[in-house]
Amino acid sequence: MPQMGESIAEGTIVRWIKKVGDTVDRDEPLFEISTDKVDAEIPSPAAGTLLEIAVKEGETVPVNSVVAQIGAAGEGVARDTSDTGDTGGKGAAGAGGAGAGGLGGKGAVSADATGAASAPTGKTAPAAAQGDGTPAARSASAAPGAPETPAAPAAPTSPVPPVPPGVDDLRRQKSSPLVRRIAQEHGVDIRHIAGSGIAGRVTKQDILSYIESPPAAPSTPAPPAGPVTAKPPAPPAGSVMPGDEVVPMSVMRRKIAEHMVLSQRTSAHVYSVFEVNYSRVDQIRKAKKAEFEQRGVKLTFTSFIAKVAVDCLRRHKTINASLDGDNVVYRRETNLGIAVALEAGLIVPVVKRADEMNILGLSRAIADVADRARAKKLNPDEVHGGTFTITNPGNFGAQFGLPIINQPQVAILGVGTIEKRPVVIDDMIGIRLMGFLTLGYDHRLVDGAVADQFMADLKKGIEQFDPSQV
Amino acid sequence: MASEYDVVIVGAGTGGYVCAIRAAQLGLKVAVVEKQKALGGTCLIWGCIPTKALLEHAHALKVAQSAKEWGLTGFDPAAVRIDMPAVHARKDKMITGLTGGIEMLFKKNKIDWIKGTARLTGGKGVEVTSPDGTKQPLTARKELVIATGSAARSVPGIEVDREKIIFSDEAIHLKEVPKSIAIMGSGAVGVEFASIFKSFGSEVTVIELLPRLVPGEDEAVSAELEKNFKKRGIKSLTNTKVTAAKAGATGVDIEMAGGEAGGKTQKLTVDILLVATGRGPVTDGLDADKLGIKMDRGYVVVNEMFETSVPGISAIGDVITMGGPHYQLAHVSSAEGIVVAERIAGHTVKPINYDHVPRGTYCEPEIGSVGLTEAQAREKGYDVRTGAFPFKALARARMAGETDGFVKIVADKKYDEILGVHIIGPRATELIAEAVLMLRMECTIEELIKTIHAHPTMSEAVGEASHAAHGAAIHI
Repeated sequence: MPQMGESIAEGTIVRWIKKVGDTVDRDEPLFEISTDKVDAEIPSPAAGTLLEIAVKEGETVPVNSVVAQIGAAGEGVARDTSDTGDTGGKGAAGAGGAGAGGLGGKGAVSADATGAASAPTGKTAPAAAQGDGTPAARSASAAPGAPETPAAPAAPTSPVPPVPPGVDDLRRQKSSPLVRRIAQEHGVDIRHIAGSGIAGRVTKQDILSYIESPPAAPSTPAPPAGPVTAKPPAPPAGSVMPGDEVVPMSVMRRKIAEHMVLSQRTSAHVYSVFEVNYSRVDQIRKAKKAEFEQRGVKLTFTSFIAKVAVDCLRRHKTINASLDGDNVVYRRETNLGIAVALEAGLIVPVVKRADEMNILGLSRAIADVADRARAKKLNPDEVHGGTFTITNPGNFGAQFGLPIINQPQVAILGVGTIEKRPVVIDDMIGIRLMGFLTLGYDHRLVDGAVADQFMADLKKGIEQFDPSQV
Repeated sequence: MASEYDVVIVGAGTGGYVCAIRAAQLGLKVAVVEKQKALGGTCLIWGCIPTKALLEHAHALKVAQSAKEWGLTGFDPAAVRIDMPAVHARKDKMITGLTGGIEMLFKKNKIDWIKGTARLTGGKGVEVTSPDGTKQPLTARKELVIATGSAARSVPGIEVDREKIIFSDEAIHLKEVPKSIAIMGSGAVGVEFASIFKSFGSEVTVIELLPRLVPGEDEAVSAELEKNFKKRGIKSLTNTKVTAAKAGATGVDIEMAGGEAGGKTQKLTVDILLVATGRGPVTDGLDADKLGIKMDRGYVVVNEMFETSVPGISAIGDVITMGGPHYQLAHVSSAEGIVVAERIAGHTVKPINYDHVPRGTYCEPEIGSVGLTEAQAREKGYDVRTGAFPFKALARARMAGETDGFVKIVADKKYDEILGVHIIGPRATELIAEAVLMLRMECTIEELIKTIHAHPTMSEAVGEASHAAHGAAIHI
């Protein structure tokens, strides 16, 4: 099971595209997985014959578990339990140093994943977690409530460069060998401790007082016990009536359910709704539409809203932030999440460094991730690391929505339907292209004044959009 | 009209001058009042720097005297003597260079040195009386910092005449090597001068009230030093109290009680008696008490942010007390000066962790230590384990011909935490730096074991001691 990004601990095999005995080329789709972040087709790490399928469709296994073996036709199936145990074990136990998850990913699919060319069968790739016994449970990061980390680009076939540490890693590294040792003995997740040292470093004193008097009602959910996601308290079961159809939730549906409830429980949601005049943007859009289409990009209202939003985020850093325990993390990058409705659910691919793009680039990037989200062609790391999200409930006519924040972000912009409305202009009634924008924000960090200043800025930016930017 | 500065610092020792530079770096306008002819205070003028200079001379002498062993020829090793005027010339030149260096740093950072003696006049004002008697008022807009330091102090009944019964201030200037010298007190100052004068050829007796030399150090270190002193012919009288000392024409007559003689009085006559029993605060003429600043036995009382009881007035260095014992060490004063400067500049600062202060004693063999001694760790209720490695098993120490001493690590069994490191032996005061970082970073023995130490170096002893703490060193 490939490590599809640092914060993913397990994955479900949804479908085997190849069957035992089939020959596969390198990079040919081999199977389809569903994780808590993304559904993806996994390409074969090597060319050869599919010798064995170890994990059946519908089964969920920890990352780094061997799911299949590829070798030369007629070759026996390798049984190297110690190696697989090692890899899987480490992955499951979650021990790992900085970036270990990402590095570990390269040995992922199985046996031959990395060394296919020179060693067609057998050994599990050596790239297991590299840390020497770092105790903090990496696996916990897959649990609800764990801060999302920028993902490791962990495509199973290519060597993975070391990735810069995510928030989790930074936080965990901001402890000391002694603190990690104490944490291990007491089963404490260091991420839940507020550090008093330099840059939030968790010190011996911090962890000892935490152990002595753990917070009565932890602000973050309790650390999960193992690699398997901790279940939220079970709601009252809906009783089944005769004739009802009972279908298990898909992995994606289950994850959405978990994330939404978690977000509601985590953030103090407050909403602010602004009405925006899109007339000017509409004129620009109409004037430039053809020109953009020639370059293969559709110029949409979303393009303008996204462009102005990322510009505003740079000025209002509190909106482009996260809470991490008692710390506020102001994001250096503006990574824009775009909610995309799928047949079976919802996914939020991320346009990285959106603030560095002009409107053409941003439009192209948004269209690209949205298309690939629908085609299940997203890389796992493309759904990580968002710092702000735009969702578009107006697509289907909603005047405005009250979206739930995409954790660990602190704000989400809902775009209501854009339509002609009568408006009062200079004491006359005119017809203008209008729409509502909703900002859902986390009052733990963002106060009303801050949110409204951002929204006023956003409204002004859209209404007075500079055509020379297009 | 008073000259206005953001910060006015009284005293240009290692606390005051470092505080001044840091404050200036952070954009503050700073004045420093100093009455001495040079900047740098005790450390540069009478303390750390001159004594360590003398120790280097002692080391050079030792090498020359053992020329045969080193294969040095062309002179008679037995005839090699220390030339005190030449020693002082080199030492004084070096001190002038260093204190001049601070003046340069002041100029570079646009810090005004106001020459004279300061008296607090209320609020954040001081009046500086310059050497020619003129008075000049100064006002601090943000903060006044007292960094007046300390001076050597005797004990009741022992009169210091600064001729035959002297402090370290005089000891660094002795024009001739005394034939015999007795030293009261075996703290860092006492054992350093014992070491220096023994090397220079004096007959040395160290008198310590407590049961062991360097009583602040780990007991094993004390025992090793005492053993070494004995080997070198330095006489150590522990558990011994000096009851009287009288300077006469022929020398100093000392009366002692306790020690080997039991309750009986012992007598000793020496050329020089060096009183190294400790240092007391310097606040003469400052009028700090008149301003209502809380004092305790002459020390200025501060909180962990070095604020005195009067708002706008801070104090750092040897002159302060926080209630408990406070290290009177140059590097502690500097650290405090930096904290205060950053606080004044509006930075978020954290209190200093005094459990992580390194201590260097520059006798031969050197002592470097940080953290808890074994006895202190046990007293605090830790499940203690220790590991030690002797320098005699180390290649690099053999090359240097300095094989006395060891590295000892005190750790907590439960969490593997390193609680203290105690080194006596060659380069101990340098080697301790790694241990300071270990404590600061909350290192475990396991991490230290995994830390590679270069070969062949003295530092290997540190790595080996960590192995020893977990069972067995590799090379013994």
